[in-house]
Amino acid sequence: MSGRSSGGGTRLVPYLQVAPLALFTIAFVGIPIMTLLALSFWQTDGISIYREFTLENYRELFTSGLTYRLFYTTIKFALITLVATTIIGFTCSYFLVFHVRSLKWQIALLLVCTIPFWTSNVIRMISWIPFLGREGLFNRAIMSMGLTSEPLDFLLYSQFSVVLTYIHLYTLFMIVPIFNSMAKINPNIIEAARDAGASGWQILTTIIIPLSRTGIALGAIFVVTLVMGDFFVARVMSGGQAASVVSAMKNQIDNLFYPQAAAMAILLIVVVALLVSAILRVVDIRSELAK
Amino acid sequence: MTLDKAGVSRRKFLKTSAAAAGAAAGSGVIGAPMIWAQNIRDITLSWTGPSFSVIADIAQKASEDLGFTITTQVMESVNLMPRVVNQPETLEVVDMEYWALAKVWRSGNYQTIDPKKIAEWDNITPILKDGKNFDGTDLTRQGILPYKVLYVDSADSTEFASGTTDIATTVPLIFNADTLGIRPDLIGRPVESYAELFNPEFKGKVALVNVPGTGILDAANAFEALGEITYADKGNMTRDEIDFTINRLIELKRDGQFRAFWVSFDESVNLMASGEVVIQSMWAPAVTAVKARGIPCVYQGMKEGYRAWGDGTGIMKHLSGLKLDAAYEFMNWQLSGWQGGFIGRQGYYSSTPQNARNFMTDNEWGYWYEGKPATEEIVDPYGTVMDQVGAVRDGGSFEDRIGNISVFNTVMDEERYMVQRWNEFISA
Amino acid sequence: MAQGQKRGPGFYLLAAFFTLFVIFLYGPMLMIFILSFQGTTGGLTLPMRGVSVHWFGDLLTSTRYGDLGGGLTRSILLGLLALVLTTVISLFAGLAFRRRFVGAGPLFYLSIISLVVPGILLGLGISQMFQLLGLRLSWLTSGLVAHLTWTLPFGLLIMFAVLNRFDTSWEEAARDAGARAWATLRLVTIPILFPGLIAVALFGFTLSYDEMPRTLLTVGGKNTLPIEISNMTMTVTTPALYAIGTLTSALSFAVIAISFISIAVIQKRRERRAED
Repeated sequence: MSGRSSGGGTRLVPYLQVAPLALFTIAFVGIPIMTLLALSFWQTDGISIYREFTLENYRELFTSGLTYRLFYTTIKFALITLVATTIIGFTCSYFLVFHVRSLKWQIALLLVCTIPFWTSNVIRMISWIPFLGREGLFNRAIMSMGLTSEPLDFLLYSQFSVVLTYIHLYTLFMIVPIFNSMAKINPNIIEAARDAGASGWQILTTIIIPLSRTGIALGAIFVVTLVMGDFFVARVMSGGQAASVVSAMKNQIDNLFYPQAAAMAILLIVVVALLVSAILRVVDIRSELAK
Repeated sequence: MTLDKAGVSRRKFLKTSAAAAGAAAGSGVIGAPMIWAQNIRDITLSWTGPSFSVIADIAQKASEDLGFTITTQVMESVNLMPRVVNQPETLEVVDMEYWALAKVWRSGNYQTIDPKKIAEWDNITPILKDGKNFDGTDLTRQGILPYKVLYVDSADSTEFASGTTDIATTVPLIFNADTLGIRPDLIGRPVESYAELFNPEFKGKVALVNVPGTGILDAANAFEALGEITYADKGNMTRDEIDFTINRLIELKRDGQFRAFWVSFDESVNLMASGEVVIQSMWAPAVTAVKARGIPCVYQGMKEGYRAWGDGTGIMKHLSGLKLDAAYEFMNWQLSGWQGGFIGRQGYYSSTPQNARNFMTDNEWGYWYEGKPATEEIVDPYGTVMDQVGAVRDGGSFEDRIGNISVFNTVMDEERYMVQRWNEFISA
Repeated sequence: MAQGQKRGPGFYLLAAFFTLFVIFLYGPMLMIFILSFQGTTGGLTLPMRGVSVHWFGDLLTSTRYGDLGGGLTRSILLGLLALVLTTVISLFAGLAFRRRFVGAGPLFYLSIISLVVPGILLGLGISQMFQLLGLRLSWLTSGLVAHLTWTLPFGLLIMFAVLNRFDTSWEEAARDAGARAWATLRLVTIPILFPGLIAVALFGFTLSYDEMPRTLLTVGGKNTLPIEISNMTMTVTTPALYAIGTLTSALSFAVIAISFISIAVIQKRRERRAED
């Protein structure tokens, strides 16, 4: 189409290409979100929703110490998970890209990382319990080795088990984008740097990390949004001891208090959007496309 | 039913009774004319509700007996409530717990039920139908007892009637009495009061269910037993009572009293079976599941009484004509005994116990309803052994358990505040 | 890249790290696998009470587990549809984002919002929309839509990683050589992006296959597998739960093995043809 598209045609191309995504997202995400926004300013008695404007839902939200505690806990979980998954994800991708040579093996090993996700998340999560519990495999092992006389309680139903499960479930979301952007690094650059006498550490910090930053940023967006939006892991793996933002919201939803839940959801969206824009401030993903 | 059935094998007995029931349904005993008997075969009726109530085997048996197809969709109450409110057209016949019905009836998406078209209506136990105890006195009015939400004054009323009327909301189906589960081997002494839940002796080995409306009742029973407070109605607390309860719970949590707060059934089983917890809120089948592994576990009746609940079958407003007739046929079939026998073998009580009895062996009836020692192995509907010869049901007979109800599962007027404070407790 | 070089200590160190990570990933699966062979009186936790295949048989024959087969079929179908739609839509959207266009920023943030909005609320919104439009809710329509609100943002972001520093000179060269847009896409762009597209496809399938909160209110009258399993955990506390896990993973491994072998065979054939 090169012949015809020299004029106005090319400018239309991105619009045509993005149209399916844009139309879908506006219709099925945009409109429901606007409804959610409206809902958060309405009242309810637990069943009927009254379309009368009120700031009560937000007043309740911002005056409750619970809100701040929930966001504090959830953001803390998100940051710890982010650090851990970035380190693991970066190292694994580095191995796959620079040490596993054939594309076939790279794909095979990526698949090996993906397959566990085809077992139901519910089942995978509860299978940690026989491992970490008071009478679980791990405690039995260390007790039989004589490392401790009492079983370690903190392993299960604790913040530790929550973060461990997050890392378990979400590292893949870090590996895939980092792998993809790392795979774009031209080996000749590294070769040249090495010939110029750069140390391994210098190559890592001055070439590889800067050139994989898009992947790291994308992975960070995944991990932050996944942890911030989770209710299941936080609930089950903490034994219900720690509530996350969405698990508290779930209790409101279960009891049909949608406007309150909507107000909290809007606040959550704003907080996450701020976190994501902070990530984007460090790495401008879109300007990195197609250089 | 005083017939001696000792000589009849259970299978054979079931067969004959089922045939009798099927014949009864087909011959229009329940007041349904025979004219549509042919085209009703094409009807498919969808039946949605919680997992303890909506069971594939029951639907299959009903389809065989009734001649039309009943499909099932299992959905727990919290997920079913928004379906009833927002998507009634995706539902037809719905089983719902009564506390949940108390919430969603106002949506106006149910149609009322005419008890005259329910042949067995008069045989429904007075516990459910009239809110009366076995001795004829009024049952406790704390919480949402089915009677409170069973009748309305007119077909389009969104409020429940104050007494018995001839317009019903639902047909009562299943009920039971819940209490705390304990590990007798790890506790090593008798436990008979809710107060034990907060006994410092069990620090770090206690769990509560993280369903606000239920968890708070177990806690309230305990605080009352400790003499810390007397609630006017634990099933409908005032703000001050909620504050007192939650503040005390937060103190206990900070002192390390709780090991966990569970939501799903399997979590409670694992907590108990693994010994993480020795006393906790529990559903009856969870206790059975722990016992089935050879781990001692008792569903300990407490002197303060049981926390009871029930569920009933309702019909969505959009049903009419042949489908509506089929729905009534199905509800009548449900009360006729086969279903009661089936859920009876899982430890639940039928709303028509006398009909259920026809479909249970003497051994089963004796064990589940009369509190007698088992004379043969107790087997659940799927063939899993539930209890051994000589074992007695925890809490004893139907009368012992249901006669001692302290509160029904509930939804409070101050629910919004309660849920908010409960969330605070969980995240404290 | 270490091409032509000997494998140094770095390789073994990193290989060990990767192996540890894989063990960490598969550890709980191993528990599932072992526990699914529990004896007939065994439970969901250790110890093992004998070894048997009882729970697999129970799973396949007993009626107590609900509609697992139907749930599995529906989930796989939904997953495949999500795979195809996510890959195609994300590919084009990713290509579009390479250039500036009006509304790119808001669309990007709307996609982020789609990731973070609590699924059950979004599901509620979608189900309400379907009802307003007079459409019937079903797993194949409203359910698919709900799944796409989850898989598309992932697809788009992965495409960003795939297109990261994508060298457009290949495309330009093809165009200069007179290739039409479609041919450029098919013969140049897609082959270069192929490994990345596989990642998008895998994410599309995996995320859809496991989705639950958005599905709860959009699924209509038939449940998907995650909902069936979640209902099962309300009533079933036998190792049959783990038997499902073992069966589905075994199935996944089989599918992957088959596709790998067939890809290898096709490649061999192509090479042979190329040599001819």
